[in-house]
Amino acid sequence: MPETIPHFTGFGLGLRKDHHADFLRDEQPVDFVEIISENFMACGGRPLRTLDAVRERQPVIMHGVSMSLGSPMGLDRSYLAELKVLADRVRPLWVSDHLCWTGLPGHNSHDLLPLPYTDEALNTCIANLKLAQDVLERPLLVENPSSYQAFQQSTRSEWEFLRLLAQESGCYLLLDVNNVFVSSVNHGFDPLEFLDSIPRDRVRQIHLAGHSQGPEGMLIDTHDAPVCAEVWELYAHAVARFGPCATMIERDDAVPPLADLLAELDLARVAASVPA
Amino acid sequence: MSLIDTQQAFLAEVCADDETAPSTLGMAIYRNAYRARLADALAVSFERTRRWVGEAMFDAACAHYILTRPPQTWTLDAYGHDFPGLLAELFADDPEVTELAWMEWQMQQAFAAPDRGELTPLTLAGAGLDEADWAGLRLLPAAGIAYRPMTHDLAALWRALAHDLPDGFMPDPVTEAIMVIWRKDLQPHYRLIGHAEFAALALLLDGASFGSVAEQVGETGLAQLGEWFAGWLGDGMFSAIAR
Repeated sequence: MPETIPHFTGFGLGLRKDHHADFLRDEQPVDFVEIISENFMACGGRPLRTLDAVRERQPVIMHGVSMSLGSPMGLDRSYLAELKVLADRVRPLWVSDHLCWTGLPGHNSHDLLPLPYTDEALNTCIANLKLAQDVLERPLLVENPSSYQAFQQSTRSEWEFLRLLAQESGCYLLLDVNNVFVSSVNHGFDPLEFLDSIPRDRVRQIHLAGHSQGPEGMLIDTHDAPVCAEVWELYAHAVARFGPCATMIERDDAVPPLADLLAELDLARVAASVPA
Repeated sequence: MSLIDTQQAFLAEVCADDETAPSTLGMAIYRNAYRARLADALAVSFERTRRWVGEAMFDAACAHYILTRPPQTWTLDAYGHDFPGLLAELFADDPEVTELAWMEWQMQQAFAAPDRGELTPLTLAGAGLDEADWAGLRLLPAAGIAYRPMTHDLAALWRALAHDLPDGFMPDPVTEAIMVIWRKDLQPHYRLIGHAEFAALALLLDGASFGSVAEQVGETGLAQLGEWFAGWLGDGMFSAIAR
């Protein structure tokens, strides 16, 4: 298994149904596209044909939401097998998923549920991640999710958990700056402390997104709005710390015309070029 | 508390009904997100059914489904699999509701079903089959093929729901009609066919040889079988010759 993922620098967008026709019709000014892996697993027909056509023009990143790295019951082998089939077909820049669990055997929540940051959870994630990396024959990227619930039994911070996970499993990190901000507001930590504790050499990708206001001051990671000013500031800080890496904007709800997202992506290009 | 115990308690709270208040604001957010995500998935999968029964009835059915049928697999696309079955219970006196939901579900399944080839009249003609080959000919079904009996003209209802539904529209009752759905040229297709035609088609779809189907229809039915077969082939209901 290759143990390293080379740096890839550029700016991209998620490939969403609303924009399939745009990507099929013209070459778009992006350096890569990111797909939700599950949307193309175990399927055929037009979705897979669209993906095949797009990946002839653009490098593709596979981003998953269902691996459930924090599951103490282990990973779903049939899921891993389907993911491997897709990765072999797509030949992505890399494959990523989240630091979370999604459910229990026979009951999938289809949400990125939070983990207690304990030794048991860390060992569980490390074991699952090693298995996934062995099956997929590549190191993975793990993303920090937004969270709305903390656990009393946690013995370390999220950023310390991520640092140890990367150190022990050999994985890389997908840093979602919006999620750092959302969780920092929800749990009352300093987002800069989070960023400054993440090892410089493990980040290969950055996600940017919008969020919405929840009840009683909580923020919710809804991906339905433009990136806010605070997240742009954190992004500039992240670029200064981690150097240029693949950056993309996620929009999954209230999806605007592609031109609007491309204009927002230009803001990321500007932010990445200005010294923090 | 072990990780598995923590997760079992967490998931139980996320999925609980409204009689159990969430213990924290965060848990309320996860519970709301869980319900909203599943309801959205059903609304997308059954958009025409939703318009047919009305939003209020549909949303009530969704709420019941979400509480009683948790998602079981890693793909959210599979979540609506049992929804037509629930509608059959809730709308027992309106069978066209279940038939519409089934059709909507199968059209989407056909759209993204794993790829198979497509057997065209040209490729079959080019196979150079002699009389013995025809007798033993077995065919593989097209991607996403599915079928079920209908009590109403769902083809007409489907077309009507593609646009603004005319006031008072109601599909005509039908007898001995079977809806067949499959994918051709990347698009899902449907056809409502009669019982006699379906009986012959079903034999081929189940793997019977062309010769045995010909025996079933008898000498007097051969011309009709030939006509049907040309139609099935032209419609793209088969993917390949079975080897």
